[in-house]
Amino acid sequence: MNPAAEGTVYPDVPFVVDPARVAAFRKVFGVSDGVPPTFVTAAEFTVFPHVIGDPALGLDFSRVLHGSQEYVYERPLREGETLRVRARIDSIRHKGDTGFLTVVMELRDDEDRLVCTARSQMVERAP
Amino acid sequence: MYRPIADGGTGAVSATVGEELPELRRVVTAADVAAYAEAGGDRNPLHLDEAFARSVGFDGVIAHGMFTMGHMAAAVTTWAGEDAVIERITAQFRAPVSMGEEIRAGGTVRAVENGVVIIDTWVSVERGGTTEWPIKKGVVVLRTSANS
Repeated sequence: MNPAAEGTVYPDVPFVVDPARVAAFRKVFGVSDGVPPTFVTAAEFTVFPHVIGDPALGLDFSRVLHGSQEYVYERPLREGETLRVRARIDSIRHKGDTGFLTVVMELRDDEDRLVCTARSQMVERAP
Repeated sequence: MYRPIADGGTGAVSATVGEELPELRRVVTAADVAAYAEAGGDRNPLHLDEAFARSVGFDGVIAHGMFTMGHMAAAVTTWAGEDAVIERITAQFRAPVSMGEEIRAGGTVRAVENGVVIIDTWVSVERGGTTEWPIKKGVVVLRTSANS
């Protein structure tokens, strides 16, 4: 990974809280109602391809493990709504041959109000 | 804030410091993980393709960290009940989970103040006589609407 990519902000990507997809997610976890809190991961994965494929970042996704995850909610997600997802490379660190990438994503509604902040740390294992 | 799933729980409203959440167990299968990959959108072959997983040094496919975290969240929301909203949830992923293993999600109420409930959470697995921790240092912060 290229440390100079720290601070990169990626273009907003729309994300629909699709009721059918929410239902499939609920089914996996055996819950009956609502949008599961970790469903936000589906929004993150609409943007990750842009991050993973960014040649300026130079991440080798085949060596990536998920290190940690945090979600902070301002309000619940609503089934059927469309949110905008904005990703920022918060930090890039190395310890020896192991890389640590932190990506922060903001989910905002159609009036630009913050709905959720997602912070993911990815670990790029040594080759 | 986040309104959790209601499965009849009411634990958050009456939570007391030191209270342990009911442990939620499940055996992880390849079918579960494939269904999760589809719903969550993470189709990394590490979770789906045995040959690929072995080629990068694992004994076989492993569950997504987010599969394990989703299970942890289910344990909390099932306990908490619909009069609680989630404000924050966090996890550190410390060990991979293989197919056929039983994961156990649990938690302990750390603090209750002004309608806010802070819960320390984890996911463990028994492996060869020792306990390992796919998730350590998980935290869930809830607000109970009854007191807010």
